[in-house]
Amino acid sequence: MKKPEQRDLFPGALEMMILRTLKRQPLHGYALVQHIKRTSNDLLQIEEGSLYPALQRLLKEDLVKAEWSISSTNRRVRIYKLTAAGARHLERQVSSFEKMLEGITRVLARGES
Amino acid sequence: MNWLKPWFSRRHLYHALSEELQQHLGEKIEELVAAGMSKEDATAAARRDFGNVTLIEEDSREVWQWPSLESFFADVRYALRILRKNPGFTFIAVLTLALGIGANTAIFSIVNAVILRPLPYKDSSRILTLHTKTAMFPNFTLGLSWPAFQAIRAAGSIEEAAACWETDRTLTGTNQPAMLSAAGVSSGFFEELGGRAELGRLLSDQDQKAAEDRVAVISQALWRTHFAKDPAVVGRRLILDNKVYTVVGVAAKGFAYPERADVWVPISLTSDIEQNPTFFTFDVLAKLRKEARLATLRAELATTVPRLEQQLAKDRPDLAGDYKITAETLLDNRVQDARQSYVVLLAAATLVLLIACANLTSLLLARGWARHREMAMRAALGASPGRLRRQVLVESCLLAVLGGLAGMGLAVGGVQIFCAIAPPDTVRLNEVSLDWTLLWFALASSLLSGLIVGLAPARRAARMSPNELFKQGTGAGARRPSRFGSALVVIEVALAFILLAGSTLMVQTLAHLLYQNPGFRTDHLLTLDLPQPPNWDEKDADRHAASQIAGMKQIMADVRRLPGVQDVAASDHGVLNGLEFSHAGIKLEGVSSEKAEISEGIVSRYLSPGYFRMLGISLLRGREFEEHDARQSHKVALVNEAMAQKFWDTLDVVGKRISISKDEKANPEWNEIVGVVSNVRDLDIQQEAQPEYFLALFQWGVGSHHLVVRTRTNPDALADTISRQIWASFPDQPLTHVMTLTRTIADSVGDQRLHTALLGVFATVGLAVALLGVYGVVSYSVARRTQEIGVRMALGAARPDILRMVLRQGLTLVALGAAIGTAGALGATRAIASELYGVTPTDPATFAAAIALMLLVGCLACWIPARRAVRVDPLMALRYE
Repeated sequence: MKKPEQRDLFPGALEMMILRTLKRQPLHGYALVQHIKRTSNDLLQIEEGSLYPALQRLLKEDLVKAEWSISSTNRRVRIYKLTAAGARHLERQVSSFEKMLEGITRVLARGES
Repeated sequence: MNWLKPWFSRRHLYHALSEELQQHLGEKIEELVAAGMSKEDATAAARRDFGNVTLIEEDSREVWQWPSLESFFADVRYALRILRKNPGFTFIAVLTLALGIGANTAIFSIVNAVILRPLPYKDSSRILTLHTKTAMFPNFTLGLSWPAFQAIRAAGSIEEAAACWETDRTLTGTNQPAMLSAAGVSSGFFEELGGRAELGRLLSDQDQKAAEDRVAVISQALWRTHFAKDPAVVGRRLILDNKVYTVVGVAAKGFAYPERADVWVPISLTSDIEQNPTFFTFDVLAKLRKEARLATLRAELATTVPRLEQQLAKDRPDLAGDYKITAETLLDNRVQDARQSYVVLLAAATLVLLIACANLTSLLLARGWARHREMAMRAALGASPGRLRRQVLVESCLLAVLGGLAGMGLAVGGVQIFCAIAPPDTVRLNEVSLDWTLLWFALASSLLSGLIVGLAPARRAARMSPNELFKQGTGAGARRPSRFGSALVVIEVALAFILLAGSTLMVQTLAHLLYQNPGFRTDHLLTLDLPQPPNWDEKDADRHAASQIAGMKQIMADVRRLPGVQDVAASDHGVLNGLEFSHAGIKLEGVSSEKAEISEGIVSRYLSPGYFRMLGISLLRGREFEEHDARQSHKVALVNEAMAQKFWDTLDVVGKRISISKDEKANPEWNEIVGVVSNVRDLDIQQEAQPEYFLALFQWGVGSHHLVVRTRTNPDALADTISRQIWASFPDQPLTHVMTLTRTIADSVGDQRLHTALLGVFATVGLAVALLGVYGVVSYSVARRTQEIGVRMALGAARPDILRMVLRQGLTLVALGAAIGTAGALGATRAIASELYGVTPTDPATFAAAIALMLLVGCLACWIPARRAVRVDPLMALRYE
């Protein structure tokens, strides 16, 4: 069975970034990709398509909700919004991510000295 | 019901997803175009950045699914579609598997019912049956004496033990007299076996104490045949050997111990019998204690048996020696003779399934090559190797399950046919039935076959690279005939050859048996048994015998008068029916004592005058029995050639005397030999004639009579007339085994007939499937090589050359298979050696014939593709490119 994989990212990272972006403002898929690319200064090269399986997962777990509307370029698009559950999930994810990052940083720092 | 929601809204979700992805791409393209790219470049760039749309869509959908199961269902749906599109392939594949699985399932359900399943008695695995072996009767397995039974009952490792004594008794007082098998049973008999009553009750300890009350329990069969399932049967009368019994109950359905028992009565013994250490008659069933092992009992027997032997030696020193009591489980005792032949049948059925599997594997591989573009396309579209592998396995398992379902139908029919054609004395035949085991076995074997069959094709599919797409279907790999596929066909042929050799040997055996000349005329003969009520009263013996003889003479005279009857003779028991009577203490005049020391006894028969003449057995010396050989006259005997030669080394033995009994003063009572007859196979058609002697039926009183009637027309048609004629004068005379001698002979080879038929069916199926395999491989390779053949022909190859080329390819496979099969068969046919007659397991002529047959049908299998090859039009073949 082929599993969707986030190349160069750890599992859950893509979801976390989506939730974080959506916390700022509701967006549709294309805009989401553009935003993540822009904010990461193109450091994170994600295959655009891989966003969609992730979005479906978040939808299924009720962390985001989606509704159809018309974009600024006059297209029918699906705008994703963070739910309350999504916001809580994001907080937990971010804090555990920060702890992990801190741990990794310390180990790396120790290793250098 | 929240979990149901996604199932309903899923279609909607998928639509939304598709549209969303399209919009995403559209938006991206627009932006790129706005940045100055051409429309085409923008589309390509957008798609490149986006990735595999189909795959992403699939992955996104999978979020909502129970992924493995649903993609599995998708695979099943796809496989079904593929199978529907190739009805020819599907039919062949399902049919071959159905034959293999059907054969296996049918044989397995029979084996399960007969050999594996415990007997239908309480704690049946702990029930042992015991037998006596003594020097007196070295060739017989006897029951136990009553003192031995008491000793077993007292053994420490035995929880309970019961004895039964089965005898034939005459049932009278109904519209037709009959012979019943009556079991006299000791107390505890029904309790030990866990028997239940369908109506009324079984026998109690009270019944055992009051044996003169004469109560009886009847079997289901007797209840049905003689009492029309009368619900008020309890209390009705049953006249057995002229004694009135009262029915107290009907045994529950399926209770059958002893197997043929019609009625159970309390055992009643004289004190003589209870103390007689040589009355080896009782069928003893002993139940081991839960913690005890068979070895424990055997150890106990080692101390008990010598004590019993000492006791025996005191009474009858001449009969002591080599006294043993053997113990084995009831199941072993019942099925051990049958086990070997069932194992052979199961092995043969497995071979059929293996052939079917090998055949299907090679078919799937060949088709795999034909479908490699499809697989490459799927790989290119993002199907992972695992997914491709699964797709192939799902297809093969689906085929196997379809084959299994069809096979189950075949098995159901097969089991029914087996029950119908099996000889009636087949062990546990009545327990063979259709049950869940059949279903599970069919399902399990079909899934297993599906996996085995799909393994190689699945591996190949998983290795498929998208590059194959660009090879235009004529890549080198696709064109080379698969070596693995050819190996499979060789294996198929080899396995089929083993079956073929085995069944050819069996067919020869059966032919030898059926056309074996027994040495006497077997046509136009009707035979019947006339059981005589036993006489236990010594004082009355003379009068009893005289009246029996008078009765028999009258019956013979009555029957002889019937129109259509040519001749009548009588004996004490029939020929070729497995019965053998012999005397142990025989003395031969003029034969040295060590040579006359015939411990195993000599086979004997009591005969009426005219017996040999009627059967066309030639008289070599002297005369046969005549009317004047009566009770009061000088006692006479005849011997056969084998006996005269063995003991006197000459045929001139008329005037010599033999003795089988002693008078009051312990002097031998002599019978003078008055004639010598030629050897015939009257005991067992499979055996050379043994020494036999004959006594005059009407000089002795014997416990059974047998009538042989030679008819002018079809003997079967006279059976009723003869029976009615006898009952007119003797209304209480039961008549049993009324049948033609031809039928008796056919029955005596019933087992071989059944096994030959089954092996024959398996061999035919195996052969057909293997040849289908040869045909498949050859015609596939012809189709692949159409171009090459065209080129060869264009370059001047003649049609016979092409024909030879194709035939050579096919026949090489067949010859290789036959060679390997010969090696295998030389070992495998030893398993049926015990069933063979008139032919050795490695008979060269049989093997040569089997090889010739294999090559011949091999040619047939190659013929069609070869013809197709020579019809190739070089022009068309080249244009095809």
